[in-house]
Formats: sequence, structure tokens, C-alpha cells
Amino acid sequence: MTKNDKGLITNRRNILLGVGAAGSAFVAALNRAPAAVNQGAQVTDAPVSDKTQERQPFYGKHQAGIVTPRPAAGMIASFHVLAKTPAEVERLFRTISERIAFLMAGGTPPAFDDKLPPADSGLLGPVVPPDNLTMTVSLGSSFFDQRDWLLPHKPVRLSRMKASPNDALDADLCHGDLALQISSNTPDTNIHALRDILKNLPDLMVLRWKQEGSVPVLPPKPNGTHESARNFLGFRDGSANPDANDAALMDKIVWVSEGGDEPAWTRGGTYQAVRIIRNFVERWDRTPLGEQERIIGRKKATGAPFGGTTEHDVPEYSKDSEGKVTPLDAHIRMANMRTAASNANLILRRPFNYSNGVSKSGQLEQGLLFICYQADLEKGFITVQRQLDGEPLEEYIKPIGGGFFFTPPGPLDETDFVGRTLLEATGHAVTRIKS
Amino acid sequence: MKLKFALAASLFALTAAALPQAASAEVSPLDLVQPIADYKIYVSENAEKLVTDTKAFTDAVKAGDVDKAKSLFGSTRMSYEAIEPIAELFSDLDGSIDSRADDHEKAEKDPEFTGFHRIEYGLFAENSTKDLEPFADKLMADVTELNKRITDLTLPPEKVVGGAAVLMEEVAATKISGEEDRYSHTDLWDFKANFDGSRKIFDLVRPLIEKDDSAFVTKVSGNFDAVDATLAKYKTADGYQLYEKLTEDDRAVLAAKVNTLAEDLSTLRGKLGLN
Repeated sequence: MTKNDKGLITNRRNILLGVGAAGSAFVAALNRAPAAVNQGAQVTDAPVSDKTQERQPFYGKHQAGIVTPRPAAGMIASFHVLAKTPAEVERLFRTISERIAFLMAGGTPPAFDDKLPPADSGLLGPVVPPDNLTMTVSLGSSFFDQRDWLLPHKPVRLSRMKASPNDALDADLCHGDLALQISSNTPDTNIHALRDILKNLPDLMVLRWKQEGSVPVLPPKPNGTHESARNFLGFRDGSANPDANDAALMDKIVWVSEGGDEPAWTRGGTYQAVRIIRNFVERWDRTPLGEQERIIGRKKATGAPFGGTTEHDVPEYSKDSEGKVTPLDAHIRMANMRTAASNANLILRRPFNYSNGVSKSGQLEQGLLFICYQADLEKGFITVQRQLDGEPLEEYIKPIGGGFFFTPPGPLDETDFVGRTLLEATGHAVTRIKS
Repeated sequence: MKLKFALAASLFALTAAALPQAASAEVSPLDLVQPIADYKIYVSENAEKLVTDTKAFTDAVKAGDVDKAKSLFGSTRMSYEAIEPIAELFSDLDGSIDSRADDHEKAEKDPEFTGFHRIEYGLFAENSTKDLEPFADKLMADVTELNKRITDLTLPPEKVVGGAAVLMEEVAATKISGEEDRYSHTDLWDFKANFDGSRKIFDLVRPLIEKDDSAFVTKVSGNFDAVDATLAKYKTADGYQLYEKLTEDDRAVLAAKVNTLAEDLSTLRGKLGLN
């Protein structure tokens, strides 16, 4: 509703259309102008990237976006799923897989008559660039709990996230039937992908919450080595992450494998834990550097553990049982004791930093969109979080949202779709046809 | 005028179901004359009813009868909500009849905040008719003026047909959350009126597309039926339960149906060859 004029409102849409038509003519005229006139960069020129054609494969044993190197922009979107019957759930899985296959490959959306709404939002232009996009589909505990026919097939360790002692969970930022992790080189590519999903699945999914994030970009290092990105506390985050290029290691830490007690359909899948962890950054920035480093357990500038020189040095806690080098309650020490036993609790972290605005008290609402993957949710995130309960860092952080999800195995080829193995496990006949 | 919708060959694996289908309806502007005329009658009848109901409502407010005024609030608004796309053509009246506190800088205290929701605020938030008389008089004058203007209005076909989707956009953007009737919580009355108003438009043009696009017609009417079935769970003897009674699951069902109807009905103008 507009309130600025009397009587009949003008037909805003028609006016816009009119402007659009005239505007196109104007642009066409401009395009014929000599290029030399417009050589210098203009303030509203699009920023340039040579990475818009980077493409990740959608098909494979595992879904993309898990061991895929984390790009600059990420998002978690959580949905309420309305599909109830096996046929509806199949339509959901197939449609979402078709949309992801298109969006990750990039290409030209179909053209409709201009009297109809366009098939694509167009925010990335008439040809959709892949831009390193991955979209990872995961299922929440409620997805199984609310469908009797799925309940017997629920992953054994999938539970509804419970609050830890330091949590202040906001119900509007928690849980969900289905979570989409969307990541790519730019936030706009993620938003385009989300809008495509919303437009194509309005009857089967309703958006509940979303959180976007990013990680600071670094220039390439001359010697080709990599550094972990920094979080909003200014520390490198991920230095001790297991090597995602080591397939055998990933089979142990990340992927659900054969031989365990998990249902067969989950093989090649993984558990996803998401946490929206607010950081009290003003207070953190007013904390002495030495104390910050003792709380984390690393030197801030280099990311090296105490006594080390680079972030990849491994602290030797066995020679430091009294915590004289690394305090016993340092974050990295409580999270990972680095013993043979603690190897069972390793997780693969893939977090983003988030920034949302200003609190009622005038402080920055920002922190970490923590995402991690593991083959065993209980031995992984849940155990690590329990070890961290009561850590000194809690004074500076407050988890406010998130949820636990199971990420099904990947679609093998163009006849396949995410979630197919689950449907087959229930006895629902699935036709493998190229759609 | 004949229309041909060409679906450009797609290089990619897209099912027809995943995208709005391009219709091949062949509709002449003359075909729209009767549905538009019928819709004009529907709008006029609702505008007349709005005047009658608002008279009873504002009389109760002016008589200081809080309980009676409260009981009439939900039903009085329905004839306005059903024809909202047409009523909104008169933005000055829409502002004074149906704006909300957050449309105004000083919210409830803003002198520009008038109409249904200002009276709703007095009745339900303050449980009083104190100081409401000027607002009651203004509302009565505004709906009378609205009825007069509607009588004189020639309905633009694209506004009528587009109105089916506009009503769904209104529900999707600002009503599904329960923020419309935030003091009285009579939102389900509004929902019902918005859906009925949208369905009326769809039903009037339905014969024009049924032959060429029966799948579309079946899908849209199925979604309207699902909405009716969901809202029917909350029906009471004299109206609807309060918004708070709406379960999380039913809210999600309504949200999904609204979004789907908004997507589908957004193609209605195009299917009928309207810009």
C-alpha cells in the first residue's frame, strides 16, 4: 500500500514496464556508442571475478559441499517439509536434485512468454554461472519422526539438538525437517540458488530460518601453501581440521561406512551439526591479547600453538600435563586432547562467519555459523561440545541456534537423486530414469 | 488477439513440473467481458455489505458497547478483505481504512493511524471505546466514500485477474504471521476472506482456461480446497478461532498453499493474454 497520493493509484507495474521498454531502447542506443567513450571503470560496474565458471560435480558417492574446499560465501537454510507420502517425498527429492544439478552446472534457464513471470529471478543475468556453487541436502530428526513410514529407517544417531549449558537457543533459529547448505564464491550466487528452490518447491517446503556467512579472502601465497581462514574473534579456525584430501581418513571420520549399526541406506552419508554461535566481539576486542591467546590456545598472529611456529604444528600435551605451555582449559585443548582415544571424536569443520546487524543494546550481532560433519554424531560434535562445556571462551560466545541433520549419500548419476537410497529402503519403488 | 506461448528449448534437465508451464490458451478480450461484469457485481455487493456492517460496528463503538463492537470486528472486515485488490486501488482510503500501526512513524500514537486497526487497538489492547468516536465516524465516512467510488469505477481487467495473485501475495508477505490483526487475533477471518476473494476471481475466469490447461485448473482448485479444509478446522459457531490456536503444522500448510497459489496465480494474467 502506498499512502502518498489521492484517488486511484497509478498502475505501478505498468509504469515500470513502460520505463523498462523505454529503458531498453535507451540501453540499445548506448550500446551503439563507441566503446572508447566508456573505457574507464565506472562506479557501478560489476566487480570482476575470474572464478565464476568454477564448477563442482553434483554426482558422486557423496554429496558435494562437505569435503569440497570452503568458498568465500555460505548459507544454511532450514525448511519445514510438507511432503508426507512416499510419492510426495520422492517428488521433493527429485525436484530439489534437478534444481541443484542445474544450478551447480550453470546454464540458460528456459525463456517464457513475457506475459508470464520468468523462470529465473535473473539476478545473476540471463546465463546462470556455476560460481563454485554446492548445495548440500540434509534431513532433520523431525523429518523421520513425523512420518511413520520413515521412522524405522532413521539414522541411529540422529537426534534433535539439545541445549548445552551455555546455549540460549532461539526457537525460531533451531532445527528443521530439511537443511540446505549452500556455498559458492559469492553471496549473490547463494541467494540466487535459494530463490530458485523457493520458487520451484513452494508446495513441498516452507522456509523456517536461514543464516548467511562468509570467510575473509586471502591473496594466494607464492609458495602455494594454504592458511586457515580467520573467524570473527580474529583467530585462525580449522588449523587442526583433518585432511579432506585423504580419502581413507574421510572414510573414517566423515562418511558413514559399512559394518556399523547404521541403516544400509546411509552409507556414504554423514551427520551435519549446525550451530549459530554469537560472539561478543566488543568485549573480546577489549580483552588483553595474552588472555585471548590463552583462552584459545594459539598465538593470534600465526595461529601456531604455544611452543610452535606455524598453525599446523601439533601441540604436545603429553609433555605438558600441568598446562604450563597450553592451559588445560584452552579451547583447542578441551576440544581435542590429541590422544589415541580422542581421534574417535574428530570432526570436519566447515564454518562461516556471520554478521546480522545490531542488538537492542547496540552491540554487533555477529559470530560463527558453525558447520561440521562426522560419521558418528555422538562421538563427534556431541562429545566435543560436552568437553567444551564450561570453557573460559564461554564468556565471549553464546550459541543461539542451529540443529542436527543427516546428509544422505550423493546421487550417483543423472538417473539418481538425493534421498533415493532412503526411499528404496522403505520399500518405495523408485524408477531410475534420466529426468 | 491470439497468443502463443513458446517454451524455449531447454538444454538442461528440467521437468515440466518444476517450472510454471506455458499455456497455449487462446483468449480474446471479449471473452473477459462477462467475468469482469460478474466480478463488478461481486465487488459492489461486498462494498454494500461493508457499509452495512461498518455501520453496525461503528454504532456499537460509539454506544460504548465494547463487547458488541469486539464481536463485530472480525466479520465486518471480511467484505473489505475479500475485495482488497480493488479497494487498494484507492490508496488514500486504503491508508485510512486498513493501515497498521507500523505503517506509521509513531505507531499506535500516530495521529495518522486511523481505521479498523486503530479501533481494534482501542477495543482489544485497551479494552475500551474511550476516544474512539472520531475514528468510528471517520471509518464510516471512508467506507461510504469507498462504496461510492467503486460504483463509479470501471474495473481494469488486468487488475481484476491480477487480483487473485495479489490477495495471495498479501497473505504470504504480511498476514501468515498473524501481524494483521495483532490486537484481536481475528486473522483467520481475514485469511478466509482473502482466499474467498481470490477464488472468486479464479472461478470467474476458470472456464476460459479449463479447456486448454485443465492440469492448472485442477491444481489451483485443489490448493484452494486444501486451504478451506485447513481453515474449516478452526471454524466456530459465529466465525473463527483466534490466530494463536493455529498449530505450527497448519500454519506451515497454509504458508505452503499460499506460496503455491501465489506462484500459480501469478501466471493467470499471462494465461489470459493480459499484460
